[in-house]
Amino acid sequence: MMGRYLLAVVSIGLATGAALLVDHFHVRDVAVPLFLFALSLTAWYGGAGPAAAALILAVGSFDYFFVEPFYSLNISASDLPYFLIFAAFAVLVTWFSSVRRKAEADLRQARDKLEIEVVERTQQASLLNLTHDTIFVRDMNDVITYWNRGAQELYGWSSREAVGQRSHDLLRTVFPVPIETIKAELLNTGRWEGEVRHTKSDGTEVLVSSRWALQRGESNRSLAILETNNDISERKRRELEVGTLNEALGQRTAELESINKELEAFAYSVSHDLRAPLRHMSGYTQLLKKSTAGLLNEKSQRYVAMILESSGKMGNLIDDLLAFSRIGRAETHKTTVSLDQLVQEVLAEIRPDAANRDIEWKIGTLPTWYGDRSMLRLALINLIANAVKFTRTRAQAEIEIGCVEQNPNQVVVFVRDNGVGFDMKYVNKLFGVFQRLHPVETFEGTGIGLATVQRIVHRHGGRVWADGEVDRGATFYFSLSKSQGANS
Amino acid sequence: MSTLGRILLVEDDPKDVELTLTALEEYNLANEVVVVRDGEEALDYLFYRGNFLRRAGENPAVLLLDLKLPKVNGLEVLQEVKSNDQLKMIPVVVLTSSHEEKDMVASYKLGVNAYVVKPVDFHEFVNAIKELGVFWAVINEPPPGSIKKH
Repeated sequence: MMGRYLLAVVSIGLATGAALLVDHFHVRDVAVPLFLFALSLTAWYGGAGPAAAALILAVGSFDYFFVEPFYSLNISASDLPYFLIFAAFAVLVTWFSSVRRKAEADLRQARDKLEIEVVERTQQASLLNLTHDTIFVRDMNDVITYWNRGAQELYGWSSREAVGQRSHDLLRTVFPVPIETIKAELLNTGRWEGEVRHTKSDGTEVLVSSRWALQRGESNRSLAILETNNDISERKRRELEVGTLNEALGQRTAELESINKELEAFAYSVSHDLRAPLRHMSGYTQLLKKSTAGLLNEKSQRYVAMILESSGKMGNLIDDLLAFSRIGRAETHKTTVSLDQLVQEVLAEIRPDAANRDIEWKIGTLPTWYGDRSMLRLALINLIANAVKFTRTRAQAEIEIGCVEQNPNQVVVFVRDNGVGFDMKYVNKLFGVFQRLHPVETFEGTGIGLATVQRIVHRHGGRVWADGEVDRGATFYFSLSKSQGANS
Repeated sequence: MSTLGRILLVEDDPKDVELTLTALEEYNLANEVVVVRDGEEALDYLFYRGNFLRRAGENPAVLLLDLKLPKVNGLEVLQEVKSNDQLKMIPVVVLTSSHEEKDMVASYKLGVNAYVVKPVDFHEFVNAIKELGVFWAVINEPPPGSIKKH
C-alpha cells in the first residue's frame, strides 16, 4: 500500500527533477508532458489512490517550480483555467489507465483460471485413461462425448471413432430390463447398476457389469451420464462352470450316498437274513445227527459231518465279511493309544491258543499314537495271529514285534516271523479279500484277515506292505500317519 | 399254548422257535415258554389285549426278543416295555442274528438287560439259549409281579 504512494511521490519527484534539468538548459514546455507521463505511470502501476496523490503533487510542483511567480504556490487568476485543464486531462489519463489496467488484470485472471482448468482436465482425462475400467460419458441423447482407453481396449473402437455416436447403437446394448425402467431409476436416484450385453467392434459379444452415474447441472438439469463397465464374461463363464461342477458333484455325492445306503442295507440283510437259514441248516443237521446216532453208517455220518463243517465255515465267512465291511463303514473314534499296551493285550489273548507251542517272542518298544483303539487292536490281532499260525510247522518259532521308523509324522510297526513265508511274486495278492496263498488244509482261514488290516491302516492314513521268502519267514509292516488334532 | 410261561419268546421264524424250544427242552424249560410271532402280539400279551385279554395277570420272568419282526419291530417293543412303569422291570434279552453295532447301541440305550447274537454253530446256539433260559428263568430272582417258579 505504502509502496504504491511512494511510487506516486518518486515518479512526480523524478518528473520534477527532469523538468528542472531540461529547464536549466532553456528547453521550454517539457514539464507538462513529463508530469502527464509520471501521472499515467503511477495510475498504471499504482491504481486510482496513488494517481490522485500524484495529481495533487504534480499540480503543486508545477505551480511552485514552473509557473510565475516561481517558488510560490500562488496561482494568478489568469493561470487558473490552464491548471483546471491540466488537472482534467490528468484525471482523464488516470481514469483511462486504471480502466484499461483493470480490464487487463481481469483478462489475465481469466486466462490463468482457464489454464489451470485445462491442466486439471487434461490430468483427469489421462488418469481416466490409465484405468483398465471401461469409462465413457454420453449426453442425455446417448451420444458419446468421452471415451477412455479402457473403452477402446474392450470394444475396439478408438475415441475418435466412438465420440459422436449413439452408445446403444454402437454397442448394440442388450438390457436386462426395459430401458424405460433403467432411465426412470437413473433420473430418480442418479444411479443405475446392472449387467448388460454389448457387442464389440469385431462382432463378439461381451457381458459387462455396468454402473451409470447421472451428472446434474444448475437447477437439477440432467447433463450427462458417466458409464463404467467391467468385462465379466470370463467371471460369468467360470461361475457357470463352477455351478455345473457343483451340480455334478452334488449328483455324484447323492449317488454315492444312495450306493452307501444300499450297501448298508445289503450288509444288514446279509447279517440277518443270510445267517438265519445257515443257522437252521446247522441246527437241524445237528438234530439229525443226534436222532440218527447209531443208525447211520460211517459214510452217511461223514456226510453229516461235512454239512456241519461247511455251514460252520460259511458262518465264519459271513461274520468275517461283515466285520470287514463294518470297518469300511464305521466311524473311527480316535484317541491316544499306547501301542505297547495294545500289543500286550493282544498277546494275552493269543497266547492261550498257542500254549503248547514253543515260541520265542521279541517285543520292542512301541510309541503312543493317535488312532481308533479297537480297530488298531483288530489289526494287531490279525497280524500276530497270522505269525503264530504260519510258524506252526517250526520246532522253534520266532516272532518279533517292533517299530522301525518313528518321526513326529509317521510310525512304522512290523511283525516278523520265521514261518513258511511267501513268494514275493504274489505279494500283491496278500491283502485282497478272500485271497489265500496256502491250501486251506494246511492253514485254516477265510482269507480276509490281511484285507481287514489293510482297510484299518488305510483308515488311519497309513500304508501296509510285506516282505517275505518261501520257507524263510515273512515281515508285515504298517505305517500310521499323524492325524490332525493329534497330540502325542 | 401255555399261559403260565415264565419266558416270553418273541420270534417270527418257526424254525428258530423250534430250535430254541429244542434247546430249552433239555432243562425242561420248554413248557415255560410263551411264543408270540411278532411285535404286536408281544405287546398284546404284555398289555392284556387281543388274544391275551383274559390271560393270568402276571408278568413273564424274562422276555427273549428278536429284533427283526413283522409289524412292530423288536426295538419298538423294547421301547414300549422300558417306558412303561408296570413292565420296565421285566428283564429283556435281545436275541438277534445281527452283529449290527447300530442295533446293539440302540438296544442298550433303550435299557436292554442283555444282547445276544445267535451263533451259527448249533452247539453254541444251544448253549447260549440254555444258559439264558437257566439264568433268567431259574437262577435270577425275577422282579415282584412276575410269574413264580412252579
